[in-house]
Amino acid sequence: MGLLDTLFGRTKPVKSKSDQLFAMATASITLQTKLDLQASGAAGIVFRPVESSYFRQAEEELTQLLELSSKESSVSIRTETDEYGYRWIVLTDKLFEDLVATIHMVSLTLTDKGFGEQLLAAVFRMNQADAANRPVYWVYNYKRGSFYPFVPQGTAQHRDNAAELHFSTIMDGELPVEKAPEYWYALWGIPF
Amino acid sequence: MRPGHWYGRSTGLTVRMAIVMLLLAVIYLAFIALLFALRVNLVFIGVVVAGMALVQYFYSDKLVLLSMGAHEVSADQAPELHSLIERLCQQIDLPKPRIAVADTDVPNAFATGRNPEHAVVCVTSGIMRRLDENELEAVLAHELTHVKNRDVAVITFASIFSTIASFIVQWGFWLGLGGDRRDDRNGGAGATVLIYLASIIVWVVSYLLILTLSRYRELAADRGSAIITGAPSHLMSALVKISGTMARIPTQDLRQVEHQNAFMIVPALHGDSFSGLFSTHPSLEKRLAQLRELQRQMEGA
Repeated sequence: MGLLDTLFGRTKPVKSKSDQLFAMATASITLQTKLDLQASGAAGIVFRPVESSYFRQAEEELTQLLELSSKESSVSIRTETDEYGYRWIVLTDKLFEDLVATIHMVSLTLTDKGFGEQLLAAVFRMNQADAANRPVYWVYNYKRGSFYPFVPQGTAQHRDNAAELHFSTIMDGELPVEKAPEYWYALWGIPF
Repeated sequence: MRPGHWYGRSTGLTVRMAIVMLLLAVIYLAFIALLFALRVNLVFIGVVVAGMALVQYFYSDKLVLLSMGAHEVSADQAPELHSLIERLCQQIDLPKPRIAVADTDVPNAFATGRNPEHAVVCVTSGIMRRLDENELEAVLAHELTHVKNRDVAVITFASIFSTIASFIVQWGFWLGLGGDRRDDRNGGAGATVLIYLASIIVWVVSYLLILTLSRYRELAADRGSAIITGAPSHLMSALVKISGTMARIPTQDLRQVEHQNAFMIVPALHGDSFSGLFSTHPSLEKRLAQLRELQRQMEGA
């Protein structure tokens, strides 16, 4: 929102930036070697639905597109609505590049239909190389076009900030990591 | 492919806001010109009022929280509230504000702070008790839109010269206005009367204009909430629920929160005598009408 928009109180949804998303495809190797993380084969995209028939239509077409592409590749797809009213499209695939490509396709489809601003984030799950398979999520924030790590801990809403800072320092340079920690928003209850 | 965005346009509201701000600017400039022509000691008044405005600007969050008896809550104390607000902030690209809760059964919510980096969002326990999660989220989105639109700064700035005018009217006598014209008695007296008259007019007119601006910004915040949540119906049902409750609460309680009206979701002082020209908030009907119009635009009607 520009100065005039603020002055006149014209709220516009924040535009989404998809361009940096593909950095994850190349960075996944580094994540596995340098950070000792394993690909879990799961990723997801989360967006805010809109109460309009146009959006319902767009979502239906998106679902059909995804079903088509899942027949051709090995991606399996599942849709959920979380407790905050956001929609998650969860993807599972052994090939990391397929995950990134499918997520990019979803964001492109929604943007083409005029709902690009509804995209919130793309989340990639990696697992720590220990017996418990604790998750390390890499979140791509569409509003800022940058990545940040999210390591939930335990059952209550706790994050392992030390690990997050450690991971972000190492990946800074390989991935466009979000510089300001106040924009490392938590996403509690990621459904994968 | 439909033209434009799914959330339509708010041209009417923007035009009306622009007109009000233009009128305010014209009145203020004319006022300053008059005071200058009559050689009023603007420096002293300016310094005092600027000082007051700065204090209000920088400490608005602390002052408001103190007067409401609100206390800040951490993520451990109110995890649901924190994650709700955090999700909204990510959607609007705002840093997460401080979050406070006021222990009162009056349902209300407000946002304060001089800019998005120093903002505080406060909810009362009354509102958390009454609204369901969707409605609470819509109310929070309304408050966060106030933060994003920097409404505290805008209204404070718009009020500066109005405050100067009121200052002159109330304290001008003691400041010895017209003292410079001792050598020209008739001109002196005439000039003083003129200054007072001008100040009263500026004070009254700008006060009404600022109230109008405040109402327009409330409508803008309503619109912002509906666009962020993508669901105008959530805010509509929240407003109806709160307004209905407000009407039943006795006025004795609400007078305590009178001065916080400007940044709350619903004016704490309720009653039809306070709607219209003299209210900081548009009426419930106007707010619902705008949200319905937005729903129609979203359906492409």
